[in-house]
Amino acid sequence: MNPIEIMVSYWPRMLDGTLMTLKLTILGALIAGAISPWLALVRSHGSLIAQTPIRIYVSFVRGTPILAQLFLVFYGSGQFRPELMELGLWNFFRDPFNCAILVFVLNSTAYQTEIMRGGIQGVNLGEIEAAKAIGMTRMTILRRVIFPHAYRIAWPALSNEIILLMKASALASVVTVFDIMGRTRQIFSKTFDFSIYLWAALIYLAITSLFVFGWHRIERRLNRHILPRNNANAVS
Amino acid sequence: MIPMDPSGPILSAIDIRKSFGDVEVLKGISLDAKKHDVISILGASGSGKSTFLRCLNFLETPTSGKVIIHGDEINVQNGQPKMSVPIEDIRKRLGMVFQQFNLWTHRTVLENVMEGLIHVRKKSRGEARSIAENYIERVGLSQRVDAYPGHLSGGQQQRVAIARALAMEPDAILFDEPTSALDPELVGEVLKVMQSLAEEGRTMIVVTHEMAFAREVSSEVVFLHQGKVLEKGTPDEMFATPKSEEFKRFIASM
Ligand SMILES: Nc1ncnc2c1ncn2[C@@H]1O[C@H](COP(=O)(O)OP(=O)(O)OP(=O)(O)O)[C@@H](O)[C@H]1O
Ligand SMILES: [Mg+2]
Repeated sequence: MNPIEIMVSYWPRMLDGTLMTLKLTILGALIAGAISPWLALVRSHGSLIAQTPIRIYVSFVRGTPILAQLFLVFYGSGQFRPELMELGLWNFFRDPFNCAILVFVLNSTAYQTEIMRGGIQGVNLGEIEAAKAIGMTRMTILRRVIFPHAYRIAWPALSNEIILLMKASALASVVTVFDIMGRTRQIFSKTFDFSIYLWAALIYLAITSLFVFGWHRIERRLNRHILPRNNANAVS
Repeated sequence: MIPMDPSGPILSAIDIRKSFGDVEVLKGISLDAKKHDVISILGASGSGKSTFLRCLNFLETPTSGKVIIHGDEINVQNGQPKMSVPIEDIRKRLGMVFQQFNLWTHRTVLENVMEGLIHVRKKSRGEARSIAENYIERVGLSQRVDAYPGHLSGGQQQRVAIARALAMEPDAILFDEPTSALDPELVGEVLKVMQSLAEEGRTMIVVTHEMAFAREVSSEVVFLHQGKVLEKGTPDEMFATPKSEEFKRFIASM
C-alpha cells in the first residue's frame, strides 16, 4: 500500500485516536489548570508548612519519568485492588483511560503550579496595593488584579506545558489507551507499513500548529495594553 | 460607632508607633484631620512619612496606636489590630494616590476609574460609567478614556489615579509624594488638579517635597524628623518662624 491508500483505509481509526489524544490533553490541561493556580498561591504566599507538601510533590513529579508514574498508577492500582474495591475506587482505576488522565493531571498540575507561581510573583506589588487601598477584599484582588496579570505573564510558558502534555499523552498507548500513538501501533502491526508513523507525526504537528496559532492570538489580545499604540487599536 | 461631632476630626491617628524588626521608625505620631483640611507632611528622606501614611489605611499595620476614621476605631497593640468593621470598609473611605501611580496596567483609563465603583461600591456598570466619566473629565482626560496607562504620560497617569481615588467619594485622600516620579515639566498639571481639589474643600493628607504646595495650598504643615512630629502649624507661621534647627535646615535645603 502507498501512504495515501493506508490513510484512506484507516482514517476512521486515526480520527478516533486523534479525538482520544485531544480528550486526554484537554481534560488533563483543564483539570490541572483549575487546581494549579491555588497551589501556586500557597506556594507564593502560604506558610512554610503549607508550602512543603507542594514542594515535595512538584519535585517528585519533575524528578521522575512520566512513564514510571504511569506504570506506578496503572500496575500499582492492580496491586491494591482489594483495598481500592473496599474504598469504592476500583471502578475508577480499572479503566486505563482514568489512570492515564490521573497521571497527566498530576503531572501537568505540578508544572503549571510552578509556572503560575512565577506569574503570581511577577505581579507588580504597587497594583496590588492600589487594590487594597481602594477597599477590595482579598478574593476580589485575586480575581481582578493578581490572576489577570499572572496569566498574562505565564501565558507563553503555559502554552509550552500544554504542548509537552499533548506529546506525553502518547505514552497512554502503552497502558492500552488508543490515542493517536495507540492506533498507529495497532495499524502498523497489521500492515507493517511505517508510513502510518509519518501520518501520526503529521497529525501531531497539525494539532500543535493550530494550537500555537490560537494561543498566540489570545496572547496578542491579552497584551493589548503593552503593544505599541497603533497596534493596540488594530487588534480587535 | 462613636457619635460624630460635625466639627470634630474625620480622621484621627493617635500615638502611632511602627517598628521594622528592632528599628522603631515611627515613635508615637498623632494627627487630626478635620473636614476640608489639607495637611502637608514634610520631612527628610527616611523620616517615616510614607510609613505613617500607610499606617492610616493599614497598608502597613502599626505596632501600636489608634486610628479613628469617621467614628470607626481601630486599636492596635503589639501589632494586633482590633476593629469593629472589616478593614476594607475603612480603606474605601480613604483614597490613596501613590508616587508610582499604581494604575492597573491591563485596564483602560475608564476601567481603572470604574473598577472600585463596581467591585467595591457594587454599583451597576451604567452608573459606574457615568460617575467615572465625570471624574475623568474633572482631571481633564476625557479624550483618553479608552487609553491604557502604558500609553499615557506620567502626569496623565497620576491624574487618572486621582480620578480613581475621587470616584470612590472618600472622606479623605492620602497622597504619597504624588509628583516625585514625574518629569519636571509634568509636575504642574498634577499640582494644579490637587490645588483645585483643595479649593473644593476635599480633605487631603499630602506627603510632599513641593514646598510651594505646602506653603500655599495646605492648611496645616507637619514636619517629621526621625519618626517624630518635630513641629506643626499653619504654613505661614511654620515657614516664617521655624522653631527647630532641623526644620530650618530642611527648608534651607529645599
Ligand atoms: N518594609 C520595610 N522594612 C524595613 N524597613 C522599612 C520598611 N519600610 C520602610 N522602612 C524604613 O523605615 C524608615 C522610614 O521609611 P519611609 O519610607 O517611611 O520614609 P520616608 O520619609 O517616606 O522617606 P522618602 O522621602 O525617601 O520616601 C526608613 O529608614 C526605611 O528604610
Ligand atoms: Mg516615602
